Amino acid sequence: MTSSAFDGERTRDWAGRFAESVYATEAELTALDQQAGDGDFGANLAAGVRAAGPLLDRVEASAGPAEYLGALATAFLDEVGGTSGPLFGLLFQAMGRAAGPGPELTTQALREGTAEGLAAIRRVGDASPGDKTLVDALAPAADALGAAGEAPPADALAAAAEEAWRGVRETASQAARMGRASYLGERATGVPDPGAVGIALFFSSAVGTVRSLAPRLGGD
Amino acid sequence: MARYFENGAGQLVADALSGFARAHADLVRYDAADGFVTARHTAPARRVGLLSGGGSGHEPLHAGYVGTGMLDGACPGRVFASPHNRQIFRASRAVARPGGVLHIVKNYTGDRINFGIAAERLADAGIACARVLVDDDLATDSEDIAAGRRGTGATVLLEKVLGAAADTGMGLDGLVELGTGLAGRCRTLAVASAAHHAPATGEPAFVLPPGELEYGVGIHGERAARTREQATVGELVEEMTDALLKALRPGSQDSVVALVNGLGSVTSLELYGVFGELGRVLDARGVRLARHLVGDYVTALDMRGFSLTLMAADRATLDFYDAPVHTPALRW
Repeated sequence: MTSSAFDGERTRDWAGRFAESVYATEAELTALDQQAGDGDFGANLAAGVRAAGPLLDRVEASAGPAEYLGALATAFLDEVGGTSGPLFGLLFQAMGRAAGPGPELTTQALREGTAEGLAAIRRVGDASPGDKTLVDALAPAADALGAAGEAPPADALAAAAEEAWRGVRETASQAARMGRASYLGERATGVPDPGAVGIALFFSSAVGTVRSLAPRLGGD
Repeated sequence: MARYFENGAGQLVADALSGFARAHADLVRYDAADGFVTARHTAPARRVGLLSGGGSGHEPLHAGYVGTGMLDGACPGRVFASPHNRQIFRASRAVARPGGVLHIVKNYTGDRINFGIAAERLADAGIACARVLVDDDLATDSEDIAAGRRGTGATVLLEKVLGAAADTGMGLDGLVELGTGLAGRCRTLAVASAAHHAPATGEPAFVLPPGELEYGVGIHGERAARTREQATVGELVEEMTDALLKALRPGSQDSVVALVNGLGSVTSLELYGVFGELGRVLDARGVRLARHLVGDYVTALDMRGFSLTLMAADRATLDFYDAPVHTPALRW
């Protein structure tokens, strides 16, 4: 893993790989959401990264990470319907705020931003870990960043991604308490939460592009 | 001919809002691009902007209560769908005053989440924001319902009282305390003899057997917990009023404010009959009826039904209630 600075350009590349990962897995996300929700999550996530494209392109080349995260936040908050997509926007908003005006994204800023994003999402959605929501991927990711100490940002994000995927796999055995999936009760058991998958895709994209969900959902 | 008079599928809300803005151009301004209505004239002493919103189909709620002495703004969503957080965020910025902005939110998951996302964005933008949650529906008062009681008719009463309080220069914390306390002293029950018709299909949301009615119905076509045989309006109103009084237990210093509300296609003839029965029951129970409203204030498209809301009110609440108001749908 490289230890070079996580600057604006690398943040832009992260956002670009997130878009590629979402497009590559949109059909799988939709299939998951058709089993556990109302089937629009894949399309909503894709709408978010699609709306983010032109905003990211407009950020000046010399800009720091905060501006790219801010562009992602605006796209997801303003342009995505439903509620899950805008909740991703709250995570990006908090991460952008924590990144501050500096030229680099530090592990400390990632830790603070992810923790604050998690707190904001929990305030809004009233979801706790175990409720089979995106919190079940975001909380372990935040914990991993919390335990990352002085590790380089890319290493800390790789650890966060691993923990997020572990959280995703755990949602498969949970019964939903929130959202549309809650009306299905036990029928949604066995299916991982699509929102949690979206969070794992985001952290994974910091270090690579995800082409297919199947290997990630199947186990270690 | 389709049941609804409209220009095309999905056009009802946008067309109504343009017409509404023109009809009440002296009182409100409609931002069509961002989808919210704001008041043209607000008391100079007001330090906190008041914003509400929710799905359309409940007219005159919410835009009808935008104006002097009540709401500073309202965000209508699509029919029976929460407004988007973007609408709420932008409307909040438009109506925020030096003391911030207060969201008056009916207790529905979508509204709670979208107003909540907007509140997080406002915090990020450095604008103070707080919420009063309206949850007056007695029919959903059960430990088995994790989402809590729904918000219905009491919204109008809370918006009126909070508007008058805001006009005195009351700050955000004071308004939250007043509104939350008052929300706890309001309860509503609704009955329907026929469901609303969905604009998209023209079909009724549910069909009742002849001679039966839904007792405890919601304002989006949610079925009640029970269907019961029809009764005389006197018997029905007595049962509803006693249930409301049992839940509210107004104190000896309290009187009640009553809202007899049509849900869309109940006649004025019937509503005044309901009000007469309500007055009779309150008199018999020794409860003083201090103020009342009779008419269509919070509707559910064309549902044939009515709701009764009682608010236990002390002298200070009545003073706020009596303060002048000038909005498209409420004026004194």
